[in-house]
Amino acid sequence: MAEPAYTVASDGETTGDEKSSFTFPEMAIGIDIGTSQCSVAVWNGSQVELLRNTRNQKMMRSYVTFKDDIPSGGVSSQLSHEQEMLSGAAIFNMKRLIGRVDTDPVVHASKNLPFLVQTLDIGVRPFIAALVNNVWRSTTPEEVLAIFLVELRAMAETQLKRPIRNVVLTIPVSFSRFQVTRIERACAMAGLHVLRLMPEPTAVALLYAQQQQQSGHENMGSGSERIALIFNMGAGYCDVALTATAGGVSQIKALAGNTIGGEDLLQNMMQHLLPDSENLFSRHGINEIKSMGILRVATQDAIHKLSSQTSVQIDVDLGNGLKICKVVDQHEFEEVNREVFEKCERLVHQCLRDAKIEIEDVSDVITVGGCSYIPKVKNLVTSIFKGKELYNGMNPLEAAVSGAALEGAVASGVSDPFGTLDLLTIQATPLAIGIRADGNNVVPVIPRNTTMPARREMTFTTVHDNQTESLIVVYEGEGKKVDENHLLGYFKIMGIPVAPKGVPEIDVCMDIDASNVLRVLAGVRMPGSPKPIIPVMEVRMPTVDDGHGWCAEALNKTYGSTLDLVMVQPKV
Amino acid sequence: MSITLVPACLQSLPKPSDFHGHLKSNNPNRRWNQKCNGIRCCSSRAWNNSTTEKNYYELLGVSVDSNAQEIKEAYRKLQKKHHPDIAGQEGHEYTLMLNKAYGVLMKEDLRRDYDKSIGQMRLQFGRNNSSLGYSSWKGPFRPQALFVDGNACIGCRECVHHASNTFIMDEAFGSARVKLQYGDDDQNIEVSVDSCPVNCIHWVDAEELPVLEFLIQPQPKKGYGVFGGGWERPANVFTAAKSFNKQLKQQEATDFHQRKGRVVEEETPAQAEARANASMNIKMGKFLELWTWMKEALGENLK
Repeated sequence: MAEPAYTVASDGETTGDEKSSFTFPEMAIGIDIGTSQCSVAVWNGSQVELLRNTRNQKMMRSYVTFKDDIPSGGVSSQLSHEQEMLSGAAIFNMKRLIGRVDTDPVVHASKNLPFLVQTLDIGVRPFIAALVNNVWRSTTPEEVLAIFLVELRAMAETQLKRPIRNVVLTIPVSFSRFQVTRIERACAMAGLHVLRLMPEPTAVALLYAQQQQQSGHENMGSGSERIALIFNMGAGYCDVALTATAGGVSQIKALAGNTIGGEDLLQNMMQHLLPDSENLFSRHGINEIKSMGILRVATQDAIHKLSSQTSVQIDVDLGNGLKICKVVDQHEFEEVNREVFEKCERLVHQCLRDAKIEIEDVSDVITVGGCSYIPKVKNLVTSIFKGKELYNGMNPLEAAVSGAALEGAVASGVSDPFGTLDLLTIQATPLAIGIRADGNNVVPVIPRNTTMPARREMTFTTVHDNQTESLIVVYEGEGKKVDENHLLGYFKIMGIPVAPKGVPEIDVCMDIDASNVLRVLAGVRMPGSPKPIIPVMEVRMPTVDDGHGWCAEALNKTYGSTLDLVMVQPKV
Repeated sequence: MSITLVPACLQSLPKPSDFHGHLKSNNPNRRWNQKCNGIRCCSSRAWNNSTTEKNYYELLGVSVDSNAQEIKEAYRKLQKKHHPDIAGQEGHEYTLMLNKAYGVLMKEDLRRDYDKSIGQMRLQFGRNNSSLGYSSWKGPFRPQALFVDGNACIGCRECVHHASNTFIMDEAFGSARVKLQYGDDDQNIEVSVDSCPVNCIHWVDAEELPVLEFLIQPQPKKGYGVFGGGWERPANVFTAAKSFNKQLKQQEATDFHQRKGRVVEEETPAQAEARANASMNIKMGKFLELWTWMKEALGENLK
């Protein structure tokens, strides 16, 4: 058998070899790490069951507090008061911070949180720290998440009385592959192996597929394909998916997501109640943190109340002579957050457009996530679908984790005699993946919403005469220009035969498997010969670690355009 | 930076053309299924070069004239068996092929191009085009179907008179035929069947219907100069159908033996049926001649 001379592999913590060497030794559990709340579910042999912690809670607050020597998370510890979480000692919202560089607007928005988020705005990871005994103790979102996952794992192991290793995690649609590796790293730190990462709405879609199959719609025969729109808005992210379901198979037609959620609503509202809060809290002194905590709790309460009543009285003493006394009504709340809601609407429209599905063809509209309790969110979705009634067969907070548990059982090879697990999700790629070519453009090789597993191939060629080397720089995202996208990695091809420009054919092939591992292959051919001139290179992506903003800049500085590629127009 | 170079075997270059060999060969840990050898990656180049590859219709186990709904169902059924979530990593290559095939066949324009490239004319008769001798169905599927033996029919128009939605007069052949199965209510159909003076309207098994309808259509005879030519159809369509089915089964058996090497899993009845349909279509080669001829004669309005 012909062996290629080189294998290029990233030494990242998640190699595919590791993944496939475990042929599902035990059933995976489903974990939904939310920006504000977490839950764990497992297939118990006949149905999905949510695990409860020692305080009998199914939903656990996602935070880790560094107050004592041993950090403890929201699974085991109990807050005496909501404000304790806001004392500066606890880190939360890690799902919003994970895998982001300090130029990201989301990181900047997190500066208003009681713990410390500092940025240098140069494209490196932000400095994050918790206040422990009057000292800022630095940490990372990965570490915080890992501590939290360790607690979740311990809880699941005590309850299920078996070791847990495999998990199915839900992630937001808009997560880049780099962020996904951060999540995987956190899992590795917690001793967990990620069997599948599911975009949240696709987990909901799987639950929907199961419900459809159970409810006997499928007995009608072949014509029972149902199209559902899933709108999932939690504290940190808003995701939309369109799925076509028949016979327990949920086929994801399109995905759309954005980093908007309850946290934005909360921050806008805080800003509205106390217009110069940003300046006030930027010092991060002990007193400021305390007032910020009080304001946050009061605002959160007010928003919760506005879901059931039309107006709410806010009466809060922030200390330092600052007092807020105000009546806020629903209309005011909606006006303050108009932009957020408009973004939500745009996501739904984009998803419908991408899937090429008309509003009339959608059989069910499902809203889940914490924000789905907000009347305005319900209204905006129903008004897009011309007053269609929302699907009410699901618990909005438990849908995603239940779907993850189902996927965990299916992907672990568990089968059920009653056919309840006769399910499948056919995933689609949430973001396009391409390489830099034609100058500073990104040419997508695998477009968005391609059915997974996917493999696509494209041919490129050199831009200079006698160019013997070229760079393959892989990006993820929807932007046309490189700086609008996430850099995933790069490698250099050497040994291109000396030839005039445009002659060598550089084939770039991308392969995504069902567990979402991306491999990029590149080979060089000369026209007329089917054989590669140099051994094919295979690189697992992403290869970049931190500071990816710098990488691209450094590449540009070192090589300029000398190693560029252009796309070859497909021959007709 | 996290890239390591692992020199493996410097002398031997990767053998055939492309990555696909590479993808399978160098990665024993990943357990790519070696049984899937017949299936390769996606590039159009690969398609043209290799004749051992399955075409998209065979891959999905559907007939060339199947509609979107049938393709969708077949695709889902196969996905449920081969998707890596269910079949493990071995299903990867196969699922890639399925996705590719599905992507092409579900898009009308891509499918047309593909049909052209494999040189297989898609027969757009039947279901939505009753003008070509095939009946369509109204309402749910029933085990029995109506069939007019055009040889026996004397063209009395009794049946058309009693059940005008179901039967139609084929002026070209001077005989009646079924346009729409169960197009009228049961009573009218009953009356029209009874009213036939030569008893040429038969109740047949629905499965047999396509074969009968195919055989009853006059086929062009091969001509030698001024001799011969013209049209013919089997004198007894029912016996002809029997022998046709027998041939079909034999063909299927040999096909199956040949395929055994490649396909490891058992096929579902639906796929077997679809395969039978496909090979029937191939056997209808003669019909293609007719089709081309008619297309020329009637211009593009058949489309």
